[in-house]
Amino acid sequence: MVTDDKTSQVRIHLKTRSPDIELPQDTGPILVSTELKRYQLSTLVNRLLETDKPVPLEFLINGQFLRTSIDEFLTQNGISAETTLSVEYVKALIPPLYVASY
Amino acid sequence: DTHLDLQEAESDIMSLEEARSSWSEHEASTRNLALVLTEHLRLILQPTQATKMRGDFRTGKRLNIKRIISYIASSYKRDKIWMRRSVPSKRSYQIMLAIDDSKSMAESESRGLAFETLALVSKAMSMLEVGELSVVSFGEDVKVAHDFSTPFTSEAGAKVFRHFSFAQRRTNVRKLLAESIELFRQARLKAASSASELWQLQLIISDGVCEDHPAIRQLVRQAHEERIMVIFVVVDAANQQAQANDGPKQSILDLQTAEFVKNATGEMEVKMLKYLDTFPFNYYLIVRDVQELPGVLAGALRQWFAEVVESG
Ligand SMILES: [Mg+2]
Repeated sequence: MVTDDKTSQVRIHLKTRSPDIELPQDTGPILVSTELKRYQLSTLVNRLLETDKPVPLEFLINGQFLRTSIDEFLTQNGISAETTLSVEYVKALIPPLYVASY
Repeated sequence: DTHLDLQEAESDIMSLEEARSSWSEHEASTRNLALVLTEHLRLILQPTQATKMRGDFRTGKRLNIKRIISYIASSYKRDKIWMRRSVPSKRSYQIMLAIDDSKSMAESESRGLAFETLALVSKAMSMLEVGELSVVSFGEDVKVAHDFSTPFTSEAGAKVFRHFSFAQRRTNVRKLLAESIELFRQARLKAASSASELWQLQLIISDGVCEDHPAIRQLVRQAHEERIMVIFVVVDAANQQAQANDGPKQSILDLQTAEFVKNATGEMEVKMLKYLDTFPFNYYLIVRDVQELPGVLAGALRQWFAEVVESG
């Protein structure tokens, strides 16, 4: 349930430096739940890329790898959900083990 | 770009001097538009002079044909068969401007447009002298910056500006609606005119990004049942800004919502929706430039009045 004291959504702007995984056209901001973690963000980008075989991705916000939920990241870094987050994604160098369960 | 909130935690509150000069600046820049809006509104808000013929009276100017049969059938007892010209009633208005004071307004460069809108609408309303005006700020909390019972002067305008810092860390539109319905109820009780001739209108001025759309929709419906009209003015300044800098798309029209839902086979799937497709307000306008405001606002109000008059 949505509580009164917390924001549960945030706008993100996805970008990458790798031309082969660039999003089709210029995707505008996307509103996502702050509960999302790396795995769901990876699912989201793969959906936007319309990949046949999912490419495991890592995400960087302000140059830091996202290792928690977005919500925890915002809290730890004192960022409010009013901000449009600039989120950079890169191919995961060593695919995490659980990717095998795809 | 993301900013660390901690670095700008304490946003400055404008001094009274700054607020006065900011107010007169915005008042001056929107003066001509205020005249245009006033003229639009004068036509819409004032009761129509061309009055209608209404039944049912014992004497009058014209027969009400619909009543004749029952008149005869009742052996000439139901004799209210005449129509008269009804006198236009004097309507009064309570208009609340609710301005988004959240941080996203500052990030999207919408605060200038919000201040211009505030100066423009309040000026037009006070020139019309049709009713009472109040201003509230919202974000994490709802605060009354100007109440209905105080006349809106330039000095009041300057004081209102001081309530805004565009630094609130949430945008709680649900709370805004719940509290404004309560404020409108109180104002209705205090109003001098009879309840049926009192028209209550809320204009929300915001970048439009808010959550919990179903609960908001419910409250909009409740407001409607209490005869409070809610118009949401989406200030979409970020779009032009982004286009000018050749930056990424920022307009609310481009905003999408990503939802994770289970599909038929129980797998999680991403569904992309257009943000505005679930937007909970029936009446909303998207304004990129204050110049557009008098026209679109007048259009929305005209539609509202037509509906209220029909349903009444
Ligand atoms: Mg906001």
